[in-house]
Amino acid sequence: MKKIYLGVAFLYLSVLGAFAQTDSTENSLYKNRKLKVEEANFVSSYYHQEGNNSAVTGGIGTEKLSDFANSFDVTLTRFDKTNRLHTFDFEFGVDHYTSASSDKIDPTTISSASAADTRIYPSVNWSVKDDIKHYSFGAGASYSQEYDYSSIGGNINFSKFSKDNNRELGIKLMAFLDSWKVIYPIELRGNLGNGGYKPRNSFNASFSLSQIINTRLQMSMLLDLAYQQGQLGTLYQRVYFRDNSVHAEKLPESRFKIPLGLRLNYFAGDRFIIRSLYRFYTDDWGINAHSIEMEAPYKITPFFSLSPFYRYYTQTSADQFAGFQQHTSQHNFYSSDYDLSKFTSQYAGLNLRFTSTDGILGMKKFNTFELRYGHYNRSNGLNSNNITLALKFK
Amino acid sequence: MGRTSQSQSIRICCPDKKALIQIPSALSDELILFKKVLKLMGNRFEISVLSDNNIYADDCIQSVVVEIQRIESLLTTFREDSETNLINKYAGISPVKVCSEIYDLICRCRRISELTQGAFDITYGSIDKRFWNFDLNMTELPDAELAKETVRLVNYRNIILNDQNKTVFLKEKGMRIGFGGIGKGYAAERAKLLLKHQGIKSGIVNAAGDLTAWGFQSSGQPWTIGIADPESRNQPFSTLNITDAAVATSGNYEKFAVIRGKKYSHTIDPKTGFPVSGIKSVTIICPNAEFADAMATPVMIMGAKVGLGMINQMQKIACIIIDDSNQIHTSNNIKLAR
Repeated sequence: MKKIYLGVAFLYLSVLGAFAQTDSTENSLYKNRKLKVEEANFVSSYYHQEGNNSAVTGGIGTEKLSDFANSFDVTLTRFDKTNRLHTFDFEFGVDHYTSASSDKIDPTTISSASAADTRIYPSVNWSVKDDIKHYSFGAGASYSQEYDYSSIGGNINFSKFSKDNNRELGIKLMAFLDSWKVIYPIELRGNLGNGGYKPRNSFNASFSLSQIINTRLQMSMLLDLAYQQGQLGTLYQRVYFRDNSVHAEKLPESRFKIPLGLRLNYFAGDRFIIRSLYRFYTDDWGINAHSIEMEAPYKITPFFSLSPFYRYYTQTSADQFAGFQQHTSQHNFYSSDYDLSKFTSQYAGLNLRFTSTDGILGMKKFNTFELRYGHYNRSNGLNSNNITLALKFK
Repeated sequence: MGRTSQSQSIRICCPDKKALIQIPSALSDELILFKKVLKLMGNRFEISVLSDNNIYADDCIQSVVVEIQRIESLLTTFREDSETNLINKYAGISPVKVCSEIYDLICRCRRISELTQGAFDITYGSIDKRFWNFDLNMTELPDAELAKETVRLVNYRNIILNDQNKTVFLKEKGMRIGFGGIGKGYAAERAKLLLKHQGIKSGIVNAAGDLTAWGFQSSGQPWTIGIADPESRNQPFSTLNITDAAVATSGNYEKFAVIRGKKYSHTIDPKTGFPVSGIKSVTIICPNAEFADAMATPVMIMGAKVGLGMINQMQKIACIIIDDSNQIHTSNNIKLAR
């Protein structure tokens, strides 16, 4: 009986011992101990030790230490009361663009607002990361409006990390409730009526799995299921039938898209990263596509980086697509939008990014300035140059 | 290896941008911040001085370069004929007479060893490097007995000092000392002293993250120091304002290995021979860069509780610890503002 009792006690102690070891910030070889007076004043007496009158000369001479602060205010930028890491982002994008083609909706209008739309799209994002339970959770909302289009977006996301933080599984759900103004080509306005807004809603579910392979190589797999419904055709786009009649584009009311991607990032050093992405895409309109993307950001200083980028893309034609005067009235759906045609495209350019923790132009909250130039080239003849400016405020 | 290059993490949030952009004239009434980045002691040194004269500022910075090169030649273990290596060469054979500068530095190191229960130990150089080729690809922890064997020569008590003759004797054959855990801080402190003697009233010497600041910015404000976020080291996770103070950070977030799901830093506990785990970064704030540099790593080895228990009993020193689960632990004299 006594023997059994001892056995239990031993087991109990070993459980305690195992528990104590899991407090990983402690090292049992070092003990809490009361310091001696001279140890407590170690800093003040750093160069003047009692009992050692040897030259202080090798030292740095006497320092006036009396004015050393009694306490320090440390401003934490990113932790909450339970010390979870919070990140708040408020992005304010300005994207100034001109487009020549939108003026042709109504050729009698010589100049319209659409010739130089300024898009303004604020967004709010919040996230919280709990490192003990290895998860993060976030939510965001966005609103954007153009003269013919408004969009309300919401998203929630959840990520779970492995214990060593080397693997991350993420789920993101997004919904965009868009409303856009119906604008028919001018010659069709009489028959089809004019004005009004039509909905176009998009629902996305993204799944990602990222894995740190080693200190230099990271991999992630992405699956983005997307479902769109509502007015998907762009009604002001004309379609000319074989009989030379003019119609407004007509496309199915729903679309289901499946993109699947593989991303590899290689950190070649402190200053140089190579990012690459392969993506396969398929949808129920008959488009299959492949794309390859490469980007190589190079940090010139910690605050200033340049990154050249290149993208190659190829896709098959959608079932609804046919070119100018190719459609017939046999078709239920018709579009001559070359975005839905078979093509290959290339996009290359340079991104310039400047950040400052102190603020740019003396504005404390203004911390990132980004300028992107790109040249786009498509096999069916579309070429464009674009410049994008992004400003980020804390 | 070990304590040499851990403290790369403190970044000055550029104190006065206007001054840096301005092209300074040879003589002007305005105090301008002159900044120079130098590679010294195998590390990145950033020296910033406030002066109204760029030629004089440049001369002062040049004198710092000469001084730090002199210190390097005393402390280096990469050169056979440095005084430090002479001590190592005669380990177990005979005492070596050294200059008072090294002698006093070793005395201070010994006192720090006693204070930190041996977590700080300059005989750390004795560790068997062939065995402990600590790298990121390590997947298994070594056997505890084997690890212990590698640190058998590490013991600061076996440094025999003779105050009269200024000799240093390492008792055991094969013992080695090195100043990796204190050298950068010592150099930063010497550089500051030299600049102050030349009349520089304000400046910052940043020896690869071990920095010491004195005086004020040209605006009259104290210097703002950012402490790097262990999660993303180009972002400060916090900032503090200091004047006449030194800050040093030791962190395991730059070099570590994950073994069976647990993160181990490249810092080896001199008592066990095992890599340390549990703490991501330790920041020490105190008036002296040498002491700040020396204390950051031992606090990491001792652990948050014992380390802060020690710091809290001491005057004129403050400490911020971030553990592996991103919890912040601080000494009592730190006020966190969010």
